[in-house]
Amino acid sequence: MEEKEKVNAKPEQDLVLDVRDLKINIELDEGTLTAVRGVNFNIRRGETLGLVGESGCGKSLTSKAILGINDKKCKTTGEIIFDTNDKGMVNLLDLKPKGKEIREVRGKQISMVFQEPMVAFSPLYTIGNQINECTRLHITKDKKKSKEISLEMMKKVGIANAEKRYDQYPHEFSGGMLQRALIAMALVCNPKLLIADEPTTALDVTIQAQILELMKELQKDLNMAILFITHDLGTVAAMCDRVAVMYLGKIVEVAPVKDIYANPMHPYTQGLIGSVHKIGTKKEERLFSIEGTVPLALNLPPGCGFYDRCHKRIEGVCNVKEPELVEMSDGHMAACHACAGGCKGCGQNTAEAATAAPEMSAVAEEKGAEING
Amino acid sequence: MAKKENAKKILEINHLSKDFPSKKVCVHAVSDVSFEVNEGETIGIVGESGCGKTTMGRCVVRAIEATAGEVKYYPAEGEPVNFLTIDKAKMKELRKDIQMIFQNPYSSLDPRMTVVDIIKEPLQANFPKMGKAEMEEKVMDMAAKVGLNVSYLKRYPHAFSGGQRQRIGIARALVLKPRVIVCDEAVSALDVSIQAQVINLLKDLQKDMNLTYIFISHDLSVVEHISDKVGVMYLGKMVEYAETEELFSRPRHPYTEALMSAVPVADPEVKMDRIPLAGEIPNPANPPSGCYFHTRCRYCREKCKECAPEYREVEPGHFVACHFAEELELRGFNYDEEAKDGNK
Amino acid sequence: MSIFMKKKKSDEDYYLASQWTLMGRKLMHHKLAKFSIVLLLILYTLALFAPFVAPYGLDDYDSNYKNSAPTTIHWVDENGKFVGPYVYKMTYVNNRETFKREWAEDTSEKFFVKFFAEGKEYKLFGFIPCNRHLFEVVGENGGTGAKIMLFGADSLGNDLFSRILFGSQISLTIPFAGTLISFVLGIILGGISGYFGGLVDTVIQRVIEVLTALPTIPLWMALSAAIPADIPVPTMYLYITVIISFISWTGLARTVRGKFISLRNEEFVMAAQVAGVSTRKVMTKHLVPGFMSYLIVNLTLGIPSMIIGETSMSFLGLGMRAPATSWGVLLKETQDITSIAQYPWRLIPLVAVIVTVLAFNFLGDGMRDAADPYK
Repeated sequence: MEEKEKVNAKPEQDLVLDVRDLKINIELDEGTLTAVRGVNFNIRRGETLGLVGESGCGKSLTSKAILGINDKKCKTTGEIIFDTNDKGMVNLLDLKPKGKEIREVRGKQISMVFQEPMVAFSPLYTIGNQINECTRLHITKDKKKSKEISLEMMKKVGIANAEKRYDQYPHEFSGGMLQRALIAMALVCNPKLLIADEPTTALDVTIQAQILELMKELQKDLNMAILFITHDLGTVAAMCDRVAVMYLGKIVEVAPVKDIYANPMHPYTQGLIGSVHKIGTKKEERLFSIEGTVPLALNLPPGCGFYDRCHKRIEGVCNVKEPELVEMSDGHMAACHACAGGCKGCGQNTAEAATAAPEMSAVAEEKGAEING
Repeated sequence: MAKKENAKKILEINHLSKDFPSKKVCVHAVSDVSFEVNEGETIGIVGESGCGKTTMGRCVVRAIEATAGEVKYYPAEGEPVNFLTIDKAKMKELRKDIQMIFQNPYSSLDPRMTVVDIIKEPLQANFPKMGKAEMEEKVMDMAAKVGLNVSYLKRYPHAFSGGQRQRIGIARALVLKPRVIVCDEAVSALDVSIQAQVINLLKDLQKDMNLTYIFISHDLSVVEHISDKVGVMYLGKMVEYAETEELFSRPRHPYTEALMSAVPVADPEVKMDRIPLAGEIPNPANPPSGCYFHTRCRYCREKCKECAPEYREVEPGHFVACHFAEELELRGFNYDEEAKDGNK
Repeated sequence: MSIFMKKKKSDEDYYLASQWTLMGRKLMHHKLAKFSIVLLLILYTLALFAPFVAPYGLDDYDSNYKNSAPTTIHWVDENGKFVGPYVYKMTYVNNRETFKREWAEDTSEKFFVKFFAEGKEYKLFGFIPCNRHLFEVVGENGGTGAKIMLFGADSLGNDLFSRILFGSQISLTIPFAGTLISFVLGIILGGISGYFGGLVDTVIQRVIEVLTALPTIPLWMALSAAIPADIPVPTMYLYITVIISFISWTGLARTVRGKFISLRNEEFVMAAQVAGVSTRKVMTKHLVPGFMSYLIVNLTLGIPSMIIGETSMSFLGLGMRAPATSWGVLLKETQDITSIAQYPWRLIPLVAVIVTVLAFNFLGDGMRDAADPYK
């Protein structure tokens, strides 16, 4: 535990968010869905941490847990320690979900930007009104002043003709503009932490690039930390300083962004990177594909959650004991038995991992045909 | 491309247009699109929202009726016909040759039919005389081929995940043994790792059944990986069309250049050096004058505002719709390891 | 290791379950709906076996029992011994003091309630001759003239309980027949309207609008006045059914049209068209099942309004008339002060209507909740 904490982030640098052993369970008729099974990560001031994972890994639940906006059915345990403006380090899970303290934090100190800007705004009110709602709630109740602040923010995010746009309704905005407005609303109170949940997935490529650049600029400007959630490896490479890869409710690898692409250690990360064709490079004959599909986090068997689909699994070890997230090399942590034992990086890069896969793949293909059902 | 020498034309799309008229405005979803497809090839069609690629794909399979233009289809035997204007009888005969795979695995399967029935339906519609046993056999074959477990076929779609449903959609499209398949964003709604599975599957099937794909997508990385030739569309028009490597390394249209530079590369070493595009995608109901792209093009000159550029062949096999295609030095990707400092 | 092998049997059931099975299962979880189903089954069974359950026929009136209150059933004899249910003959007696006519029991003879006793002849289901009734009263000494009137009698001396039962035959089935007609008309016209659109759609929708705009009661009155007064009951029944469904199909047609429009743009419809499936087949195989559950729910909620429609019409004298009996006809006879002041048991058919309508409503509610089977 000591080791892990020390390694996760240099203690001298100030942490904005420290998530420890976060577990989220959802009670269903069929049993308990262990959606998040013990997640640890932290973010420093001004840093962008990417949280990468596919559907079913629990990243959305994790991010919503930070703000306490998960459904009642979710039982959350663990610690989410946040460096508040006035009360120092506070465990957000201690605060009442609908209480005054958490509402002080939400929108003002921690903000969130969502995936679909088109539905994130109410169609009944003007954009200006909705951005202003945030300003008036957290900064000042003075009508004139708050409008000024909101307009200022709208200009900052690059909405041309801000005065006119202030009085327009969401349906009059394009997707990209709406996302800018959403960012304006999120950043108008100068939060310490911005949680961006797939903010560019629903946008066109050229608009996506604009938004990513905007976010980077604003981050530098406001010295803000960003928790960037996505499944797109390209965006991660462009935006993030450090990357945490999530699978089936656990973080399986954490590393600085360069390391994760140059030297992915966890088989899942290797698989993910191998699955994507890097634009501007020669075509591969075949993309590396991870066999099978993500299982339901219900009544999981013992051992590593990735066992069924892993191309480097060790029977007798991986399906018995769950691997711990340990440091493999400087700042690079992975939770994998096949990588453990003091291994300082597998020495396998993606290309090798992909080519190593074919022998397994042939067998896997057969098995895959069964499993993929 | 080894296929070049014995390339047999299978489709010729000429001046295809689709308008959606309404009381106030007429939206020209597809304007005058032309390109050729050879047998066994994969043509990637890319573009952003409003470019008309999905509409064009639907016109080609006649899921919707085009306003103008022809889709010349070269059947295995017989004379080429215009797929859009053939009569009912001929349509019955040829419909099975051109099929489609849809984008959304959740809405493209009828939730009230079992998987067996879904895959069987095209057979029932096209081969009414086929015996039940024969049909079942064909269905099982196809299901196994796409990687579905045949013992699960009696289930309903809700029992399957997104990737598996997409496989069902593929099986349904292939059960008629078509020659051309239009894949309309077939992998866009899937997770990355499942995308890879389905892309590999599509490639395998192409080799196995000698299929021709028109692969519509907004994801340039996927298109680069899977296509032999790529067409770029903007606001209903085809602005550039060339072989994949040629297009990605030596683009001739400013939009292509900007589009490629905007794609975030899955490699942190590569700095994002985006070519900024001014403004937003114009409203398709009210396109700009002259060249549609002139409002955002950084190489825009007077001529561009006034007259629409011609879609012409500037090099063998490389088509562009830009007045200054020959003059502009545009930036593409460098495929060679040793930086041959050509365009970057 | 196959991930799928771990699924339990219940998962397998879920995967194989069609939409209807899933819906049925969900419905069974809804307590009120389950209760309503049972209740409705009972009511319809009673209606089916009305001549058997009812002790008396429709023309079994006895002027001795005019306006009589529900018969008191005694269980113990004069000595307090339990002898089983029995009744006494009722007679009118003049009260010398109040000058009001009162009912008095003639305690000379006990008439025991016998189950499955023989009684008046009738034809079960209209063609099986039978003379057994569920219960009858038989005099211990062979006397006659006593009647058991569970709900009292009407102004002619007819047993109200029997009349209610016979009335239910009409009141519970007209809505069904009417619904069937609306159903067919609604699907066909709504379907055509929604699928083809354009001019066809416009014309049909305008017709629907005109029909809906017509005030219902005057329309019914007009139609009803066109029915000759002396036609036999079954024919009258048919006419009334047609009149009621004349307008109610419009609502259904609109619903169907809306559903068609939303469904015809679904990708799986497009996929079927691209695969070469004919228009007709697309409609029947993809579109109709697509909204069937929705339609069934709508119907279940529409039946109560038809029940009330028929009841109201007959209440106003526009629908079924004597000698036919329906709950509405029975309620028509309560249109005076004496019904409330002196003979309140005549309002019992109201209870029957309310219970039935509520049962259908709860059932419809349950079905509506269950009709989202894939959630």
